[in-house]
Amino acid sequence: MPEQAQRRAPIPPTPESQPEDKQALDELRHLIVAPEQEGLQEIRERLDSKERRAEDVSSVVAEAIQMRREQGDDQALAEALAPTIQETLRESVRKDPQVLADALFPVMGPAIRKSISETLRTMLESFNEALEHSLSMRGIQWRIEAFRTGKPFAEIVLMHSLLYRVEQVFLIHRETGLVLNHVVAPSVTTQDPEMVAGMLSAIQQFARDSFKSAGEETLGSMNFEEVEIWIEVSPDAVLAAVIRGHAPSDYRLAMKEALENIQQNFSSALANFKGETGPFRAAGDRLHQLLESRFKEKQGGTGRPRAAMVAAGVVLAIVLGWVGYSSYLLWEWSRFLAALRQQPGIAVISVNKSGGRFRVQGFRDPLAPDPGKLLSEAGFDPKKADLELMPFYSVDDVIVLRRAKELLHPPTGVRLSEKNGELRAEGVAPSKWIAHFEERAPWIAGVNSIDVSHLQNTDRIEFNRLKSALESAVLVFPLGRTELEPGQEATLGQGEKDLQALIIQAERLGGAVTVDIVGHTDSTGVEAANLPLSRQRADQIFNVLRRAGVKTASLRPRGVATSEPLRTEVTEEGRRYNRSVTFKVAFSPAPPVH
Amino acid sequence: MLQKKVCMLGSFSVGKTSLVRRFVESIFSEQYHTTIGVKVDKKVVRAVSQDVTLVFWDIHGEDVFQKVQISYLRGMSGYLLVADGTRRQTLEDALALATRITETMGKIPAVLVLNKCDLTAQWEIEPDRESKLAADGWRVFRSSAKTGESVEEAFSQLTLAMLKQ
Repeated sequence: MPEQAQRRAPIPPTPESQPEDKQALDELRHLIVAPEQEGLQEIRERLDSKERRAEDVSSVVAEAIQMRREQGDDQALAEALAPTIQETLRESVRKDPQVLADALFPVMGPAIRKSISETLRTMLESFNEALEHSLSMRGIQWRIEAFRTGKPFAEIVLMHSLLYRVEQVFLIHRETGLVLNHVVAPSVTTQDPEMVAGMLSAIQQFARDSFKSAGEETLGSMNFEEVEIWIEVSPDAVLAAVIRGHAPSDYRLAMKEALENIQQNFSSALANFKGETGPFRAAGDRLHQLLESRFKEKQGGTGRPRAAMVAAGVVLAIVLGWVGYSSYLLWEWSRFLAALRQQPGIAVISVNKSGGRFRVQGFRDPLAPDPGKLLSEAGFDPKKADLELMPFYSVDDVIVLRRAKELLHPPTGVRLSEKNGELRAEGVAPSKWIAHFEERAPWIAGVNSIDVSHLQNTDRIEFNRLKSALESAVLVFPLGRTELEPGQEATLGQGEKDLQALIIQAERLGGAVTVDIVGHTDSTGVEAANLPLSRQRADQIFNVLRRAGVKTASLRPRGVATSEPLRTEVTEEGRRYNRSVTFKVAFSPAPPVH
Repeated sequence: MLQKKVCMLGSFSVGKTSLVRRFVESIFSEQYHTTIGVKVDKKVVRAVSQDVTLVFWDIHGEDVFQKVQISYLRGMSGYLLVADGTRRQTLEDALALATRITETMGKIPAVLVLNKCDLTAQWEIEPDRESKLAADGWRVFRSSAKTGESVEEAFSQLTLAMLKQ
């Protein structure tokens, strides 16, 4: 149109042309094309003027973008705008980063928080997963499988816990079998995609040729063991998804949609494909959407956190247990040491602990308790402690007392006690032991003095008993006679026994006894006659005793007549008692002459 | 990234697989030949200052019993026609196949490889014949998969021819 307009624009006058004709022609032309020419002129001005053009576009640009967007999910607009927007953003940041920072601030925080919490959740999940799998029976089986097959344990876990997972998606050019794009799920090992894609196409064609399928029918899927390959075909492209496990049928729909989308958006690139795969890089996002996976539902649901909690609990219990046990041991040990320090006869000089062994140095009296036994009683293994205790003599009251008892063998009836070096014996003991005590006790280590004031001599007690028994005996004679009254034999016999025992007891007491055999008369008759009578009576008893075997050296018969009456003679009974013989015992502690 | 589908064509036991084996990386076993009649291998070559990925379709040999499935050839950018220099018939079969390809698919870049050139004593192709083939527009190579002679050259010539297309 503009060209035509140009061609029909007024022709400038030439000097050769006829002025009249020219004028008429101009008029004619003006009449015919003037309105059209003016319109054209205006359009031309509009096209030539940048400002005008910008003005025109500005009035529709928003609507145009809106309209394009409403036409469908066409990526072209986004792709066209992307470089400009990227450049704009870069420029904006370069000029003043604060502007963009301010604008992004409200979204950055939540985005970062979400990202962190997502990362933590994934970590916890994988931790739980690992824990659960490594603790369970199934986990052990999988470990064995991993060992057997040489695959990483993680892969085995994934294989078993996965419902399905799309591991790879191939976009293949249908005619050539060349791979246009290929996406892989994280941590999936793949073979060379070009070769795999080629082989897939070859298999497709092989299947088609082998089964003589008419027209465009294609192989929909292939499977071997746990892997399936799902294939979707469009006029120019093939979409192949490598799936581990069993994908639901609606995944097929997703593949169809993706392929239709790609076929539509890349139709010319596909049709004119000469081996250059660059343009198909843009299909990557669409392919990535197909890399989905779904895991098996966990039985019991709450199992996973529980596994972690149980494990954490066990660890905590072990740690607490260990800390508790260590503190308990230390506490027990300090208790044992305190007890050891208080133990009489043991002096602790130093204590230390190295390499889990306790070491105690000090002194121990042989009579102090065995420290190994104390250690066992406190619940320690005596082998885990070194007790280096040198022997010594303790002057601790308890030990001194124990030592005294060991050395003196006190008889029953004697109680020994010790305080500040003074050893005291209480109770009753034979004179022989008392002498032994008095002689040896002061030599015992730790004993400075002895106290026997509360110690009674059993021999002396017996002596006194015999003495009073003998002295209370009264041998009665008839009036004027020197023979005993009848019935006095028993008294005489008892007196003789007592006397014999008394002599022995006196010897035990380390002294000698003198027994006066005292003859008495009543007051009847004259004194001159009574005196010999009393003497005769004493001699009579002396002779009886001598005959019975009593040592006579200790016996001294004498007559006292009426001078030492036993009773007053107001009654006949009183007079009778005064006609008698009695005994008087005297002990002399002088050592006997050997 | 530029990719090209290249077919290896020729009669049974002319040494196609051996030629490819000298030249490419492979992940598939040679059993594929006997099962589906084709084996796909790959080689990245540098030509005209760019990397080109050659995807080889090594197609099971054509002989009296078995015709090459033309469907395997769809979309190829070029092909390597292999004949055994010690068996004249293999050259005739190869050329017949080339004719069939041109008829069905049009003119496609190709090189002709006369293999087993190490076996000079048994060589059956006269030099005249070779010159005539060259005059007919064939890029002819005498190669040996055994010694590796001219193998790289044949492949790179084919690559250049495909890039010019």
